[in-house]
Amino acid sequence: MTTNSPYHIFRKMAAREPSRYLTRALPRASAPSIRPQGFLARRNVSDEAPARRLSDHFTDLESASSLSTAVPESVAKSFDPLARAAARKGQLPRGRTTVVPSTLTNLRRHPTPSSRLFVPGPFSAPRAEQTFESTVASDIMTLCYVHTPPGFKPPPKAPRLREWDDSSPYHINRVLRGPRGGDVLRLLRKPIKFNNIPEVERITIHSYVKNAAAERNSSWLHVAGIAIQAISNVRVETFKSKSNVATWGIASGRDSVAVKAELKGENMYHFLSKLVDVVLPRIKDWEGVKGSSGDSSGNITFGLVPENVALFPELEVNYDMYPPKMIPGCHITLHTTAKTDKDARLLLSAMGIPFYGKIVN
Amino acid sequence: MSSGSNGARRVASLLRPSIIDSSVCRSCQETLGRRSYASAAPATEATSASTSADPAVKPAYTINAGVVLSRPPQITRELEPFEKAFFFYQKRLNERLALPFTKYFYFKRGTPADEDWKKKIQERRTAARDIGKYNAYDSDAWNDELLLGAPESEPEHQLEALVRDAESTANATSQDTSKKEEIPRPFPRITEADKKNDQKSLDRLLSRTLYLLVQSKEGHWKFPSSPVESGETLRTAAERTLAQSAGVNMNTWMVGFHPVGWHSYNPPKKSADTPGSKVFFLKSRMMAGQADLSLNTQNLKDFKWLAKEELAQYLNTQYYSNIKNMLADR
Repeated sequence: MTTNSPYHIFRKMAAREPSRYLTRALPRASAPSIRPQGFLARRNVSDEAPARRLSDHFTDLESASSLSTAVPESVAKSFDPLARAAARKGQLPRGRTTVVPSTLTNLRRHPTPSSRLFVPGPFSAPRAEQTFESTVASDIMTLCYVHTPPGFKPPPKAPRLREWDDSSPYHINRVLRGPRGGDVLRLLRKPIKFNNIPEVERITIHSYVKNAAAERNSSWLHVAGIAIQAISNVRVETFKSKSNVATWGIASGRDSVAVKAELKGENMYHFLSKLVDVVLPRIKDWEGVKGSSGDSSGNITFGLVPENVALFPELEVNYDMYPPKMIPGCHITLHTTAKTDKDARLLLSAMGIPFYGKIVN
Repeated sequence: MSSGSNGARRVASLLRPSIIDSSVCRSCQETLGRRSYASAAPATEATSASTSADPAVKPAYTINAGVVLSRPPQITRELEPFEKAFFFYQKRLNERLALPFTKYFYFKRGTPADEDWKKKIQERRTAARDIGKYNAYDSDAWNDELLLGAPESEPEHQLEALVRDAESTANATSQDTSKKEEIPRPFPRITEADKKNDQKSLDRLLSRTLYLLVQSKEGHWKFPSSPVESGETLRTAAERTLAQSAGVNMNTWMVGFHPVGWHSYNPPKKSADTPGSKVFFLKSRMMAGQADLSLNTQNLKDFKWLAKEELAQYLNTQYYSNIKNMLADR
């Protein structure tokens, strides 16, 4: 039986020389042990010096990324794709890895650059988004923190839909009643934690062009569409009237009366930056967004009159291209992931949109 | 409600076994003891009477309020090499997929602007000003990838291209040919304070969050902090601490009323009678001004504005490991 574990070596050493080790080791050796003594003679994998350490496995990998690896100057200089293509005799075979989406649904979901549904981008990392991530998000989380001591149980809430009181036999199987004071169920607001910090989700720019139908002249709608497209960098949709108003001369389904652009991601953040840093500060006598604005579920809307829309830098650089009287006003809706208007206002005021007047909700 | 039933409830609340956990602080115990608005008063009376009964017990820790005063990032971050390459590739791809630039709509024939446009399009072969020499409608438009070491994807290069373009347009279309038009460049991302590594300056590391660190007369570095006095809330104590340590010549904003982190200090075992200390840090944002220690009453001698990684060099290991998770990455 081999006894080369450190413990045994120590015991041998201690037995050989009558030193201070012996005085310490003797009582320990004679003390009754829970473990069987034979266990100590067993060899473990960890006893031996490992033949191949974990870090050895990584020596096969390259230490630096391909971006930082130095390529010799001569190799870099000699690579000329145009010359290589010109020197090639025949055509290259068709790529074998080209994936052609089989259905239109797949195409919409994963458009390849060869499809007409593909939209390139993003082209930049927007500043407003970076500000939100680095500064605003953590501040909102701190501001919205509510302390609940350990052991705290929130008091039970009444059900959102009320039961009928069974005073009538017709109450059986009747759908539940809505909340008191109106039958709209508001969104549930959960405590704001790291994973549900409110953020700007999308921005809608909507413009109702009154004269488009009244004057029977489509140029109003064209100019409005081009102007909204210019300030938003997004294709606009046009909408037909849903209602008949004889005095305005509109009939439902006949007259195109409005344009709308929906902004997301990079376009949205660039638009928000332009709005906050360029346009809103230059509006004369503008108090801010009304404190009572909002749909009670975290979406805030405000309007800009045509003179304010003309302040957007994209319209200002070639203002002459637009017929001045046809520049549209618009409604801008800031959709946030906040569940209440109060949270949405907290987020938007941190992003630089001022509010005034009586703050509602 | 009759007084008889109220008295009975009070007796019942005294007889009820206490649900209060000893690890919960007194104000939280009051919250827990509060069941509803109707029965709140007797319940809290009972608990506060029981907890404040023994004045002889010495506190094991002193409670301190600390301030994490930070200057948020002023400019955008540096892009990663991959991001630069990706954004540049997407720009050229967009050029290939977008409809061609409608020149006749923007430039009237024979105007100086039209002449200037012709010259430029011959030079760079595309309407976009920041994607280098590339024609998306050419037969060799497939050759849209940058070669090794090409500067076109660098933001500085693109900025320079835009500014030079604007300058040449201004020069070509202006009436006065004697004067050269100069378009101001944006301020550099690297400031004087960066070059000198001036750690007291707020102009250093513009793309990072800087935190105020102060040095006590004994020589150790920390966030400004001091004991909470009687009758003070954590927030008022933090505001007082900031005013007493870094002066009032700062425009700051306290973020909320709750601490964002805490640090506990246990004294060495020899001095068992001296209490330890717990510091609760409140978050604060710097708007304008500068720290000034000349009038401080907190026994401080020096201050520094440091980024997150730099803090590790100055703070002791235990302190840094307690506070590092409440600091922003950027």
